[in-house]
Formats: sequence, structure tokens, C-alpha cells
Amino acid sequence: MSTENTTEPQCRRALIYHLRDVVKTREAEGVAFRLRIPNLQIAVGEKIALIGESGCGKSTLLDMLVFILQPTDAGAFCFRPDADSEPRDVDAYWKHGMLNELGDLRKRHIGYVMQTGGLLPYLTVHDNMNLCRNVLGLKRDGTVEHLAEELGIAAHLGKLPDSLSTGERQRVAIGRALAHRPTIVIADEPTASLDPYAAERIMSLFIALANEFNTTVILASHAWRHVKELGLRRLDHNTQHLEDGKLTETVVSG
Amino acid sequence: MVFSLGKVFRLATRDYFHEWQMSGCFVLALAAVLGPMLVLFGLKFGIVGAMVDQLIEDPHNREIHPLGSGHFDHAWLEGVRKQPQVAFLVPRTRSIAASIEISSRDSMRIVPVELIPSGSGDPLLPKAGDLVDGVSRVVLSQSAAEKLGAAAGDTVNGSLARRFRGVQERVHLPLTVAAVAPAHAFPRDGAFVSVRLVEALEDFRDGRAVPELGWEGDPADSDRSYPGFRLYARSIYDVAGLRDAFAKLGVDVHTQAAQIELVQRMERNLTAIYWAIAVIGLVGFSLSLGASLWANIDRKRKELSVLRLVGFSTRDIVWFPMVQALFTAILGWGLAVGIYEATAWVINNMMAAQMESGQPVCRLLPRHYEIALVLTCMAAVVASGLAGLRSARVEPSEGLREL
Repeated sequence: MSTENTTEPQCRRALIYHLRDVVKTREAEGVAFRLRIPNLQIAVGEKIALIGESGCGKSTLLDMLVFILQPTDAGAFCFRPDADSEPRDVDAYWKHGMLNELGDLRKRHIGYVMQTGGLLPYLTVHDNMNLCRNVLGLKRDGTVEHLAEELGIAAHLGKLPDSLSTGERQRVAIGRALAHRPTIVIADEPTASLDPYAAERIMSLFIALANEFNTTVILASHAWRHVKELGLRRLDHNTQHLEDGKLTETVVSG
Repeated sequence: MVFSLGKVFRLATRDYFHEWQMSGCFVLALAAVLGPMLVLFGLKFGIVGAMVDQLIEDPHNREIHPLGSGHFDHAWLEGVRKQPQVAFLVPRTRSIAASIEISSRDSMRIVPVELIPSGSGDPLLPKAGDLVDGVSRVVLSQSAAEKLGAAAGDTVNGSLARRFRGVQERVHLPLTVAAVAPAHAFPRDGAFVSVRLVEALEDFRDGRAVPELGWEGDPADSDRSYPGFRLYARSIYDVAGLRDAFAKLGVDVHTQAAQIELVQRMERNLTAIYWAIAVIGLVGFSLSLGASLWANIDRKRKELSVLRLVGFSTRDIVWFPMVQALFTAILGWGLAVGIYEATAWVINNMMAAQMESGQPVCRLLPRHYEIALVLTCMAAVVASGLAGLRSARVEPSEGLREL
């Protein structure tokens, strides 16, 4: 595929994500769910918060942003990991089945924090944090140790995830998402399973580290209260029940 | 590619041994199917193998001799001897003439022995056939040697009598014991001697002269005919053919063909039964291996999704269950071989008393172990490959949300 095909004029510079008229429709047992994104622009270095009740489509949007879920329809879906490279037309990659290219983009430029850690139980804390670096073939440069220090889990580097508390495991997951210095970190309710106090502390640690690493952040959370103090931009969304409750539509823009 | 393959291999290995309890269950499940199959095959191979070996090794099974007495002359016998299926052939004289009384200095007894014409290449005397030569050397059967107290190198005294021209005559001849035949060669009192010697004894009894032993009588007939012969086929598989060939010539012969055929039929039947069981076992084994690998991949969907999220490609992910399946295959095979070895040892010790030749009842060749390993690995690779492809088709977003 040539560069012309992957580059669309709508993909403006300085934006890491540019989505226009992206739609994902899902249907289950006669009830349809539609996520519509008329326009979404995320600039490099921004910290975005996606606030909403569970089931409103936050995860669907995040999955599309990490290229593990194909949009049903897209006017434009551009991803531009750094200022020196051309924007990539993600929608075109999907349509041409270039899943390994999408995997490459994800591997290099995106860190992902899952709701429940998603740590590999057979790897030590160190190796879990080093996983993305290892896959990329990056040399040891102390980043993992530094992150562990900052996250307060340096003492656990040699342990297996089983022996850690839930909060500690989330810290490891945050460390893993940042360790290969990705352009962007996407976090899906990273503190949902923690008590409010621990959640607040871990969230501020996460944002502080993202600032230190100069990483763009997209964060899904159901609690705006403790996110707004961290200076995140809130994405608006609006959920409507249409056609006698047979269709739920969420519209996100920002 | 090779780079990420190494990483997948390391990750799969660590996962496999981290979950040693689960992995151990898979290994046990595999060995539980494969071990008994090895034992079954070992028994089939050992028992049938022993029967066939016994048939092949025991020269009695290759023996052919005519029923009743006939008239076989030199030329006819020579023609038979030239057949490629014939390993050994000597003529027999009349059995009433083929005996002698032997005495020795060490024994008070006079032992009447049967004389068996022999010679170089006699399958009953694999080591001593060459020693039977001339008219003064014999190989005694073990039973005769014991009764005479004779050993190889001793000289014994042979004697026989005739009534010639109305006069009772008895002659003596010194015989050197060249060797003592193994016990199974001839169970009664007997002596293996050269064809020339039995001919000489028959001539003497018939009242003919034997100049080389100094016995007087009528001049010998020029064209001698023999009432029978000792013939050994080249192998047990030639016996039936030779029997049929003799039947065509109008010679009824006694053979072990029926017994040989029985064992061969038994071998075929056992092999057929074994293969039926083996095929059923192999199918069941593949299904059980496939099912456990399939279930395992379902269990690991989230972890595999994480791997895809951090950038492993679909192709890499397929290797993950395959590597683990190979571990299961190799370890399960090893355990199965262990189970087999232990069982075979017990069976062989239990049955050792009943087996004549001390041959193991249950045995396998190194080749059989290799075949079992290759088949197991192939089944594992196919099953895990299919399961891995299935997992690779699942969208990673689906796996991620599972807890």
C-alpha cells in the first residue's frame, strides 16, 4: 500500500488521533447499541478523561483507539504517533486486513492499562513490566527499576503477581504500560477495583508519571470527582434511548 | 520472526512450568492412554515375536521326512538337494539297520543307540556337523553320552551282529566321540554319524562286504537306494512349498507346516486385533489430547489477548499452545515409557518361569519408542494448531474483558 492511500487530507498535523463520523454498532438479543463519534481530535500530550456509567460505550471507544476493534463505519480514522511521521489511516488498515501492521503500531506507540491488571501470572513483576520492552527488543536502561521505584513496588520486582494485592497489581500494570515509553497510554478504569483512597493515590501517581514521560493519556473512568483535580480534559458524551428502547446510542465528541 | 518465536517459546515455557499442576494433569492424562497402549503392543510384539523366533530357530520345524519307506536313489536325492529351498539333505538307511550297540570302559552298560546320518551343515548340529566324517567318528546325543559316561575325545566300542550264511557273526569297531550334541538335538539315545558309516552298517547286516572296515561278504550293489531321507528347509516359510512339491512327485512327507501355519495365522489375527485396539486408542488419545488443549486455550484466552495487545502477531500466538502441547507430548511420552518399562519388568519377571528360552514376553524395540514419540508429537501439534488458530481468530477485545 502506498503512502498516498494511507494519508488522507483530513488528517491534520499535531493531532495524535483524528476521528470523523466513526460508528460502531453492536446487536445482542434484539437490542442494538450504537456508538457514534462525529468528531474527535486528541492532540499530542493531552490528558483526556472519558467519564460515564459502565455500559455507555467507553470500552468500545478505547478498543477502537487501540486497534483491537474494527469500526463499523468510519469517515476518517487517523493515527499519528509522532510529529516526524505521516498520519496512518487506521480504517484503511482494517479494511485491507493488515492486522499485523496495526499490531506493530500498537506495540510501538501504545501502552494499555486494563481494568484488572491483565498481568501474566507466570512472569515476575519485573518481567511483566518489561514485557513490552522485551517484545520491542529494547535494551535495559533502568526505566523499569525507575518506574518501580516511583510506583512503590521496587521491593516486589522478583515476585509473581499472585502474591501482590490488587492495588499493587494495578501499579505493575501502569508500570508495564509506560515502560517502553509509548506515545500514548490508554487506561480502562484502572482504579475501578480499588478502594477510593487507594484509587486516588494510584491515579495521581499515574498522571504524574505520564507527565514525567511526556505521554498522552486517554483514561476511562466512572468517577469524575477525583479525575478533574488532576487537570484532565473531559470528553462529552450523550446517551439516548431511541426506537422504544430498542436502540441505545451514545455520541462522543471532543 | 525467529526473534519473536524465541520469545513465544520462552513465555510458553514459563507459563507451562508455572502451572505445573495443570500441566502435570495433562501429562498424566496423556500417559494414562499411551502407557497401556505401549504395554499392549509390547505384549503383542513379545509373544508373537517369541513364537515366531521359536519357530524359526528350532530346526525341527524345518524338518521334512517321508512317510513310510520309499526308494530314493542318488540322482533323485541330488536333484532335490539342488532346490534352493533345501538347506540340508542326507539319505537314511533302513531304520532297522541304523542302530548299533555301544559300550565304554567307564560304564558297565551296553547301550543300543539309533544312528542318525548327518554331515556338514546339519541344522541339529550347528557346531559339530563338520566333525561327523569317515567311519570312525560320532557325535553322541546327550542322553547316550550320559549313559556311557563318555565325553568328547573318548573312544567307545561299537558292535553289531548278523547272521551270515547260517553263522552268527559279531563285529566291533572303535568310535571316537567327536562331540556331544545339545540336548534338544535328539532326545533319545542316539549317535550322529556319517552317511558312509550307516551305509556300511546296512551293508554288513545285509551280508555284503565292507572292505574299508575289513568285513567280508557278498559284493556290494552298485546302485543303492534309500528308504528315506532327512531334509531341512531353508526357512519355515519354505516348508509348505516343499511339502506341496513332494506331493506332486507322489511322496507323502511329514512336516510341521500345520503348526507353522497356525502360528502365522495367530500372528495375523493378533496383529489385526492389535491394530483395531491401536486405532481406537489413537483416536481416543487424539481426542483427549485435543480436548484438553482446546479447553486449555479457552482458559488462557485472556492471557493470550494480553500477548496480542502487547504486539504479538496472530502467527506468534498460534505457537504458544503448540509449544505447550509439545511439552505435554514429550513429557507424557516419557511418563508412558516409564509406565511401560515398569509394567514390562513385572510381566517379564512373572512369566519368566513359563517361557522356555528366557525370552521376554513383553518387549519393544527402540524403533517402537520413536514411532510412539513421533505419533504423539504429531497429534499434539495438529490438535494444538487447530486450537491455536481458533484462539487467534478471537478478537482480542473479547478476551480482554473476561476476568
